[in-house]
Amino acid sequence: MTLVLLDTNAYLRLAKRVRPLLGKKFGQKDYVLTILPEVVDEVHRSPRLRHNYPWFDATDLALERLAHAPRLSAQDKATLVAATSVLQGLVQMDTARFMTKGRSPPSYTDCRVLAFGQIRPAIVVTDDLGMHELASMVGIDDIWHGPELLKKMLSAKLIDNELVREIYAALEVNRDFTATWAEAKHTSFVKIFGKAAD
Amino acid sequence: MHKVIHSESIKAALTARGWSQEQLATAIDESPQVVSHWLQGKHFPRPEKLLKLATTLRLGFDQLVMPDANQPIIAFRKKAGAKTTDEHIVKAMAMAALLRPLVDYLPERRSLHMSLPSASTDYVPLQNAVAEVRAKLGIGTQAVMGYERLIKEFKDNDALLVPALWGEKKNHKNALHILLPDKSVTFVYLNLDTHLEDFKFWMAHELAHVYTPELAGTNEGEDFADAFAGALLFPKACAEAAYAQATQVHGVQAVLNTLLAHAHAHAISLYTVFRQVQNFAQAKGLHPLQLSDVQVHAVRSNQHNGLVSEALFKPMAPNAEALIAVTANLFCSGFFVALKTMLIERGTGPGYLQQILDIGLQDATALHRALVGEIRR
Repeated sequence: MTLVLLDTNAYLRLAKRVRPLLGKKFGQKDYVLTILPEVVDEVHRSPRLRHNYPWFDATDLALERLAHAPRLSAQDKATLVAATSVLQGLVQMDTARFMTKGRSPPSYTDCRVLAFGQIRPAIVVTDDLGMHELASMVGIDDIWHGPELLKKMLSAKLIDNELVREIYAALEVNRDFTATWAEAKHTSFVKIFGKAAD
Repeated sequence: MHKVIHSESIKAALTARGWSQEQLATAIDESPQVVSHWLQGKHFPRPEKLLKLATTLRLGFDQLVMPDANQPIIAFRKKAGAKTTDEHIVKAMAMAALLRPLVDYLPERRSLHMSLPSASTDYVPLQNAVAEVRAKLGIGTQAVMGYERLIKEFKDNDALLVPALWGEKKNHKNALHILLPDKSVTFVYLNLDTHLEDFKFWMAHELAHVYTPELAGTNEGEDFADAFAGALLFPKACAEAAYAQATQVHGVQAVLNTLLAHAHAHAISLYTVFRQVQNFAQAKGLHPLQLSDVQVHAVRSNQHNGLVSEALFKPMAPNAEALIAVTANLFCSGFFVALKTMLIERGTGPGYLQQILDIGLQDATALHRALVGEIRR
């Protein structure tokens, strides 16, 4: 089994339409998706997120998150705290590195997600360019953008072309269409959307 | 930024495990010589090795790296009953670190700032300090301290006001003070989702921190800031007049009504007036008013005047454009102007705003859009 950890935005971009999403094995490497409890906290803390994603607290989704929440030993928890703190310290040592080309410095939760990926280990899925930069800084290779995960789910027939279309349409309607998703539309999903017009 | 490894802490961790430096070097896939150089302060580990040290020894950043000489100074104006945890401090320190690049975009700063010679909470020296400040601002001993005076004082002392929308109850803090000592600049966050009658007190509390930077973040500094705020907004001459009136009327309600009239006139809370009057009576050896804190709080709870954010943005819910406008025009703060320049020049994403303003990503995205327009992330 290969654990795949979604950050908040990656989860919010998929969870409404891909059901079940967490805990289900797919692909040749038996990928299994999971999220940290901090994702739930982050959504509950933000009135705007709660407003924009009213489906988040639907019973089936809440139960799914609960059932497939990752468990850590006491030792792993201590390691997670230490690694998160170092990742955040590295960001603060060199903030300028994370403030160009549309990036933002990774937050505490972002650092925790990356740290978790190192400890379990797990592949981290995020469209946050700052997190990708931090991963590259500390030599973490197991990090995907959202469309890479979507492509793997499509290849494993966990989702179909129609669902990919729906997910893309929702991102555009919600003005949540990041550069990575835009680029992947006509490169990773050519069969669905065709090639980009010149 | 020159960093040095915290060799004492690492050596202690090795001793606790019964490990040699060679064993550590093997565990993190590094040569013993390199590890030795780290511990002697000759070199600093690369980021991936620092992370490896953390996961191997289970030591956090503060235990692996010597503290920076220019550590920011943090002070919270907490909500009643709120406890400051390590998490709050870590978050505020992260905000401070992220604010550093923004300083380069702020207007040129003054070299002279107002400071108070004494930070005593004793009645006479405190009243003297307050009288000095009011005299400097050109305000009479019984005059109402207006918001505009306080705002100008922040600006004159290179303290940048950052109005925030943190909700009425959910956030741990009502105000946050971040001083970057090496940059001589202070960021003062004020939660606009607070009751009107409390807001001026918190501003005055934060101003006390600006005047006494060496005490910010200490219990002594918090006690002084509270004492200073009350005295500045309702000084001795006001308290004396209120005491004289309150002792002329009969019955608890009449006394409360007298104090309430003063509170309304100064746009401050009943409790602030009550405390200043009692402090005056005690300092002069007079009988205190026959009112308890409980009686005052009971009235106060029924007399809330709505939130600052409501007063500013009514009838609309606050939005990004309105917050930016209020910050520049009402709070005379160049915060968003500097931020806009920096975001555009560097191409920084909305996650930066999320962290320095301690807001949700979607609110940050809306603000980012308002500042720099539609940019594909």
